[in-house]
Amino acid sequence: MIEALRKKAEELLKNKTVDVVYGYGEGSVPERTRPVFITKPEDVNKLTWNKYCVYNLTTYLKKQESRKLGKPAIVVKGCDAKTITVLIKESQIKREDIYIIGVTCTGIGDPPATKCKACDVNTPLIYDELIGEKIGNKEFSFEERYAELDEYEKLSEQEKWDFWQKQFEKCIKCYACSSICPLCFCDRCIVDKNQPQWIDPSAHPRGNLSWNVTRAYHLAGRCINCEECQRVCPADIPLNLLNKKLAKETEKNFKYRSGYNVDDELAMATYKEDDNQDFIK
Amino acid sequence: MDNIYTPYLMNISDVTDEAPGVRTFRLNFQNEDEGKNFKFQAGQFALYSAFGYGESTFCIASSPTRKDYVECTFRQAGRVTNALSELNAGDTIGFRGPYGNVFPIEEWEGKNLVFVAGGIALPPLRSVIWNCLDLRDKYKNITIVYGAKTVADLVYKNELKEWTARDDVNLVTTVDPGGETPDWTGKVGFVPTVVEETAPDSKDTIAIVCGPPIMIKFTLPVLEKLGFKQDKVYTTLENRMKCGLGKCGRCNIGCTYICKEGPVFTAEEISKMPDEF
Amino acid sequence: MEKTLKKEKLNSLITGLKDKGYKTIAPKKDNNLITLCEIQEADEIHFDHVQTNNSIKEYFLPKTEKILSYTIEKTKVSIEEPEGFAVKSVVFGSRPCDAASLPIMDKVFNWDCTDKFWIERREAITIVTIACDKCDSYCFCTSVCLAPDAKQGSDVLLTKISDDEYLVETETEKGEGLIKELETVFSEPPSGTPDRQVATVEKKFEIDKVKPWLDENFVHKIWAEFSTKCIGCGACTFVCPTCHCFDIVDECTMSKGDRVKNWDGCQFKMFTLHTSGHNPRSTQDQRWRQRIMHKFKYYVEKFDNILCVGCGRCSRVCPADMNISEMLEIISTDEGQPEPVSKE
Repeated sequence: MIEALRKKAEELLKNKTVDVVYGYGEGSVPERTRPVFITKPEDVNKLTWNKYCVYNLTTYLKKQESRKLGKPAIVVKGCDAKTITVLIKESQIKREDIYIIGVTCTGIGDPPATKCKACDVNTPLIYDELIGEKIGNKEFSFEERYAELDEYEKLSEQEKWDFWQKQFEKCIKCYACSSICPLCFCDRCIVDKNQPQWIDPSAHPRGNLSWNVTRAYHLAGRCINCEECQRVCPADIPLNLLNKKLAKETEKNFKYRSGYNVDDELAMATYKEDDNQDFIK
Repeated sequence: MDNIYTPYLMNISDVTDEAPGVRTFRLNFQNEDEGKNFKFQAGQFALYSAFGYGESTFCIASSPTRKDYVECTFRQAGRVTNALSELNAGDTIGFRGPYGNVFPIEEWEGKNLVFVAGGIALPPLRSVIWNCLDLRDKYKNITIVYGAKTVADLVYKNELKEWTARDDVNLVTTVDPGGETPDWTGKVGFVPTVVEETAPDSKDTIAIVCGPPIMIKFTLPVLEKLGFKQDKVYTTLENRMKCGLGKCGRCNIGCTYICKEGPVFTAEEISKMPDEF
Repeated sequence: MEKTLKKEKLNSLITGLKDKGYKTIAPKKDNNLITLCEIQEADEIHFDHVQTNNSIKEYFLPKTEKILSYTIEKTKVSIEEPEGFAVKSVVFGSRPCDAASLPIMDKVFNWDCTDKFWIERREAITIVTIACDKCDSYCFCTSVCLAPDAKQGSDVLLTKISDDEYLVETETEKGEGLIKELETVFSEPPSGTPDRQVATVEKKFEIDKVKPWLDENFVHKIWAEFSTKCIGCGACTFVCPTCHCFDIVDECTMSKGDRVKNWDGCQFKMFTLHTSGHNPRSTQDQRWRQRIMHKFKYYVEKFDNILCVGCGRCSRVCPADMNISEMLEIISTDEGQPEPVSKE
């Protein structure tokens, strides 16, 4: 698979189909990989593929420093590829402006990431070139998809509140969660806006609660469950639990799952007369 | 132990609207003893607080020779300056300072002075201009070139009149092309061009330049052409600051902390700094 | 002064500290994190780790702290000074690198004027360090003139000499005072040469070569090459024991407010953004360069200290696997060549 990946990257660079390949390279320790940006065909050997390829590289589509390198080809797993669908839907990128190298994936991380348990995109849903043997994507029931919420949903309201208070207390406001998120692409985040000061910048309970809840809300109906926010959180806050809960509510209320179909209407940006509006009553 | 972040409390005793969005406050110490012990020199800056909104950095715009008050001039731009502009005479503001280094006006004694300012950058020079005018016989010719986008944008309009009326000051005002009014008697043109036209003699002369980066960028070569050596050209730099005391870590250009080693620098010192303005 | 501390005496030590009015801060396991936090009982203390996730910094420069409060009444404002922020405490079991960060940062917080929030806490807190008996590949204290048993900044240094014994060495009067206060907990020092169990931390680069390279290479393509993957978050600066940059903001209701000092970091684009929209460090490579320059050039020139203790936290925590010692390795082997070694 690595060979096929390198060969494809080399071909794309040689033919000048793209200027740069965003891929995975060897990390600082064997248990890590790191994002690499290959601009020369002779450098394609720096590309790798293994179970430590956790990054969702589509986040580099929002960064001026990587965009400066020119038209990209991006190595994506099935989960990451869903981001591209959302970015196209939200007019952040044009399909023709990127080349998608999809890789089939049977799970990443050691131990495997939570998101991989009910993965229904082992083969990406959108790609220009597929690396690896095509895997028939599984189907899961609504309950199976959100199984990781089972324990959490058993908690009483007070217990849920206490749980999040305790989690958010750890937040240091480093904003790694939003910096890594490919869908947090606002040039000026609400947290940077101070007229008025919507969110207290301080890392105290009030500031942390308003930041973390706002971040999650801005991803409602958009988050594609790449779990990157949770992976990078230096305070070990289970951020994806929030995202997942909002995804579940969105699916329950609007029969919408983010990132699966480029033709779907966006859940939070579409008005329908027969929308289920129970949640604001 | 004293809290270095505690501001003096000051009364706003006078408010002057200088130009659209630009305002001057005259401030008096609420605690008289603090006022008596307070000293500063031209070139220094302070942090002004609108309580409830935060602190903002600007220079002290009045001259140290005028001892019973401090003045500041600011443009409404961000959260704090918008809040400041909501304040009126009689209200309280916080003042932390004076911080930073100073114009070496004693070294300039016996020399000609040329002040070049653009737009809202006259306030830092106003302090040193009045300082030198109040010690007028220590300096030879004093020339001031001041430009703004439009006539309305010129600040300290009354003082400009006063300087025009004085025969010991050569004031040249200019506005950008298109910024003139029918009754405008000053020049029309950009500051660097006007400096070139005014052609102050560089012999025994100190130039003090303050303005937006683009103005400084084009004025420095003009001064060089007129024969000014880099160590005879002074300017003040600004950067985002939070503490003003060399601790919060953001105002440095290379190794130089603007808040402590600046804001006053010679063109020679600036030329040695890394390109990170 | 030398003593021995037996592990079985830990309970009496922690109880003793409490009785003498000290708050105790020590490493504790919390789910996936090992956190330096307040503890009540000796058995909460976690020993078997390389490094705590948070650094000692937050006990001297908290992530958010009140620096003054005020009340606004019509046109008048009255200011109240915060009190009680410096609480008599012992940090027990921090690592030598963390302890070493404190005297380095004293310099900036004492530069011409004294930041009392830092200095009063420094006076109130006693540091009891445990020398590292293990390390990982991110550790590089030995490359920045420190060691897994470095003494800088510690009032007392504990070194494991057997499975249930630590050698106790006092490094300051404050440390000596603490040991005397709790004399009965400690036993006589071991006779003969104790078997100090100290990790071997591999030296990764020649620090002497770093600054000369930085002096010459403010403009260099490596800044951009190395930092393209940087996502511009503040994780590295916030977990760093020597990153001390902060923001000052007001938080206010209608009539009462606090002015607070919050951690801030040079990797955020907002950090240096002018109100006009101009930004002197507008790209991530400039911000990455600032971090390296500040630590290995600017601070050295100002205060004669490297602003880095080699704890490795920034590299462990980096969401994009930026590795600071790798950058310094490249720099220190480049020797000023126009084409640097690139590990991309």
